[in-house]
Order: sequence, then C-alpha cells, then structure tokens
Amino acid sequence: MEQLSEASLQQGIKQREKGESEYRLVWKHLSRNRTAVLGMIVIASFILLAVFAPLLATHDPISTDLGNALQGPSSDHYFGTDELGRDLFSRMLFGARISLNIGLISVGIGLLFGIPLGALSGYYAGKLDLVIQRIIDIMIAFPGILLAIVVVTVLGVGVQNVMIATGIASIPIYARLVRGSVLSVKKQGYITAAKAGGMRDSRIVFFHILPNCIGPIIVQSTFQVATAILWAAGLGFLGLGAQPPTPEWGAILSRGRGYMRVAAYLTTIPGVAIFLMVLGFNLVGDGLRDALDPRSRNY
Amino acid sequence: MSEALLRVEGLKKHFPVRSGVFSRISGYVQAVDGIDFSIARGDTYGLVGESGCGKSTAGYTITRLLSPTEGAVYYQGKNLFDLNAAGIRQARRNIQIVFQDPYSALNPRKSIGDAMKELLAVHGMGRGAEAKEKVREVLQTCGLAPYHYGRYPHEFSGGQRQRIVIARALILNPQFIVADEPISALDVSIQSQIINLLERLQDEFHLTYLFISHDLGVVKHISDTVGVMYLGRLVEEAPKQEFFARPLHPYSKALISAIPVMDPRRKIDRIILSGDVPSPANPPAGCRFHTRCPEAVQRCSIEEPALRCIAADHRVSCHLVEG
Repeated sequence: MEQLSEASLQQGIKQREKGESEYRLVWKHLSRNRTAVLGMIVIASFILLAVFAPLLATHDPISTDLGNALQGPSSDHYFGTDELGRDLFSRMLFGARISLNIGLISVGIGLLFGIPLGALSGYYAGKLDLVIQRIIDIMIAFPGILLAIVVVTVLGVGVQNVMIATGIASIPIYARLVRGSVLSVKKQGYITAAKAGGMRDSRIVFFHILPNCIGPIIVQSTFQVATAILWAAGLGFLGLGAQPPTPEWGAILSRGRGYMRVAAYLTTIPGVAIFLMVLGFNLVGDGLRDALDPRSRNY
Repeated sequence: MSEALLRVEGLKKHFPVRSGVFSRISGYVQAVDGIDFSIARGDTYGLVGESGCGKSTAGYTITRLLSPTEGAVYYQGKNLFDLNAAGIRQARRNIQIVFQDPYSALNPRKSIGDAMKELLAVHGMGRGAEAKEKVREVLQTCGLAPYHYGRYPHEFSGGQRQRIVIARALILNPQFIVADEPISALDVSIQSQIINLLERLQDEFHLTYLFISHDLGVVKHISDTVGVMYLGRLVEEAPKQEFFARPLHPYSKALISAIPVMDPRRKIDRIILSGDVPSPANPPAGCRFHTRCPEAVQRCSIEEPALRCIAADHRVSCHLVEG
C-alpha cells in the first residue's frame, strides 16, 4: 500500500516541495475565506472611520445645540441629534476611536496576563496550579463588571483606566480557558516527544503547547472585544468610565436608552455599530483559527 | 559480549494512588519494582510482557521521561539519574525514543521538516540551509522523500508517520534508542517494513536498541537478548536462541506457547493461563506469578524467588528451576 502511494506521489502529482513560509500560507488561506475577508473589510472600515474621524465629521462631536435636540436623521445630521442637540454621526465617528481602543487594549491586557498564568498553571500543575486557581476563583466569584468597578475605583475614573479595568476583569476568563487547553494538550504524545528531544520547558510551552491551544483563545478574544465595550459602557453609565461629553459607543447607547420611544435611532445606531464590530472580529477570528490549523488548510 | 552501553540497576517506579478529599496518598502502583539488566553496545534488548507489566514505564523511566523512584541507570558509566535538568537535556542527544502511537507523537501544527530542524537548533547541531539538508538526508534514510520536508503530519499514513517518528529520533545521531512498541499501532502489512527499517538503521548507524514489545514473534526476529517482565519484575532473561530453545520460567513457557505457528496442521500444546494479572497496586506475596502459575507449589506463595543465574547469561526467578 505504502509503496503504491509513494510511487504515485513520485509520478509528479505533488512532487513540488511546499517551501512557502507559514505566514504566507496563513494569509493565503485567510484571503480565500470569504467570510473572513468580509470581517476584515468591516474591521478595516471601522479603523479607517476612526482614524479619519476629524476629516469625516460634519459637526463638533461635543458642542451642544439645545434648539436642535432629538432631531431625526436628515441631510444635515446624517444620524440625527441626541438629547442635547449634538450630531450623532460625528459622535459615532469619534466614539469609534475610543471603543475600538477599549476593545483591543482590554483584550490585549487580558491575553498578556491570562495566557502566561493559565499556561503556568496548567503545565506545572501541583501547588503552583492550586495557588493560581484559588486566586482566579476569587476573581471569578465577582461578576466581571463588579471587578472592573473595583479596579476603576482604585485607579481613578477615566477612559484609560476603564481599558485597564476591563482588561484585568477578563484575565481570569483567559487563565481558565488556557489552563484547560494546556491540560489537554500537554498529555499528547508530541509533547512527550518534545521533552524527549531535550527541549526546555519554556520552548515546549510557547512553541508546542500554546500553538495547539490557539483555537479557543481566538474565539474567546473576539467575543471579549464586545464584552469589553459593553463593560466600558456600563462603567460609563455608572459615572466611572468615559465622562460626558466624551463620545463613547457604550455611553451613547446607554444615554439614548431614555429616549427610546421618541428617538429610537439613538440606541439603534450605536447598537448596530457595536454589533457590526463584534461580527467583524468574530469572522476574522473564525477564519484565523482555521487558517492557523494545517489540518483545515487545503492546498 | 562487548561492553555494556547501558546498565539498569534496581530500577523502581511507583505511582502514588491518591484518594479522599485531601488526596492523601493511599498506596502505590508498583509499575516497575526493581529490575536489573544491561545492554551491550550494538545489541537489541527485547523487553516483553503483557499489557500493564511495566515494560513501557521502564522505557520511559530509563529515558528520564518519568522520574524514577529508586535505582540507577548507567549510560556509558554515568548515572543518568544523577543528572540535573540541563544534563538530562544534553543526554537526550544520545538517548532517543520511538513512540508507540505515531498518530499522537507528531505535532499537528508543525511541518515534519521544521519539527526536526528545531531539534537540531536546540542542540546546536546546525541551522538554516545546512540543517535543512541534514533533515532531508535523514528523511531519505528512513524511506521518505526529501520533498516531504514541508508537509504536515496529517498528510501521511500511519506507516509513514512511524517513519517520521523514527527519523526524528535519528536526527540527533543518537547511540541508544528506546523503541516503545513501535509497531503495535500499525497495520500488519506495514509492521515488517518498520522492523526492517529499524534493523537497517541499526546496521548503518551502530545503534543500540531497547525494544519494548508484547509481540514475541517480532522480538524473536529482532532481539539479541530477551527479557520477560511480569508485574513490574524481570522474571527471565536470556540470549535469544537460548530463550526460545529453553525457556525456564513457567510464564515464559506460556508466552512462547502462545506464538502462532505458520503450519495449521501442526499441533502445539498451548499453555493457557487462567485469571487476570493481579493489580500492581497490591501484588501477591511470594512469587508474583504464583496466582496464575500452572506449576506453583506452596513455597511459591510464601517466598519470593530471586533472579538467579542458571547458565551463562541466562537468568530466571523461579523456585522450580534447578540451577
């Protein structure tokens, strides 16, 4: 059997050696995945809108015009105005900067601390695991938003601190997730093989175990972008996050809540924006997970 | 017999059994309970026994993939169990292992070439194009093609994967290889190819093997010396010819009688053992085999037989063997 397949291979069906670099393979696969491309377009659009907000905005996002309050969408105010007469379109543009930052930075902080904690905990097990997991138990015992409130209270009010707070609040989620994946991957034969090859623990963890745990981490991260934005909105609502008149999607959403009956667009528009951004990250995350797995890449 | 490359002395590996709320240690599974043997340079030592007798645990402990409970393993005169973490990493260059299951032994996210190149880099044995060339060479030696370099494990069949596992073990130019049931996960039609490959490599690179298997037929083919394990102990050890011609321990006799014979008309007297292997967490007193031994006498359940030298290189632990 084997000789047969070997022979047919040698007849030139697939004789070329695959010498492309890993990055190029991933990119090739990702760019052929339509939904992932859609996601990338969505995220890229948001980033462009955020970057060029000052050029695209039609009005000053924080100047009020009480005579023009709660006006529906029109040619002058594309998305209408809020209860203080501020232009929603301009506010959404500038808000994209803050919300994108909150989403990305808080996920970054969560990953930065959550992954090493979870990896250490899962790989070394024993007493270290016990200590780390009990600390994480304590953190998980509080709802994420409550933990974020505590952190903001300690650090002080402000958008930057909200990013840090939501990031810290998401650390236990990543730590648990990574620990679970590490526990299952480290029992695989190829990890024993890496050890038998004389590799250091650090190399085994970072180059052999974690790459095999990437799937759930990516999926969780994309969802966490949305959660962070909503937590930030909640904090803003409680007066701990972005302070008025700072335009921030979550804050716009929660302030618009009071006018849902008269001006539904005040909640619909930021809601749809958050939804689209999360969808974008999700689609890209899904595509990335597939592209990073050699088994689901077909050539 | 030439000098011993590897000498195992009083090797023990006990796994603690934890139970209860506070996971207190309530006992030990005596997976390997005091075995001694040595392997001469260039030889193949066949370690056989049924599932759960501790043969794989012995292999893993010798290579320090499991930490030993007691004993010593001298490799070229140096005790492997005295080495610190860095020393072990260095020793791994000479002591490699071929795994049982080629499906889980390869990292699905690394191309096979990169995985092998990484080993070279870790041991400072070459980088870049030079390392790549070496990997291709070894792949070819193991019956794979150089263009397989960039392929991923899922693109290979079981037999090819085992070739990759062997190539990976070989890339560091080791002298000693533990083959942990290297063919038991493979299709019968592939098994002989892998055995032939292992034999060819042994000739080519003067390798020394510890060949762990439950297949006596294969062990008969490949080994120079055969050691039989039962419940964590070595019960008999002899040069291959001697062992198959004159097995002395009742367990060895039973094992040999169970080898299928090619001729359907030939009658063989199978020695059928009754019962199961007792739990290694609570091994029977006296001779560990007495609960299933067809020849057991009263003494066997009281006194534990020592592993005695009966003839040159022939050791057996049984009260009934005169020596």
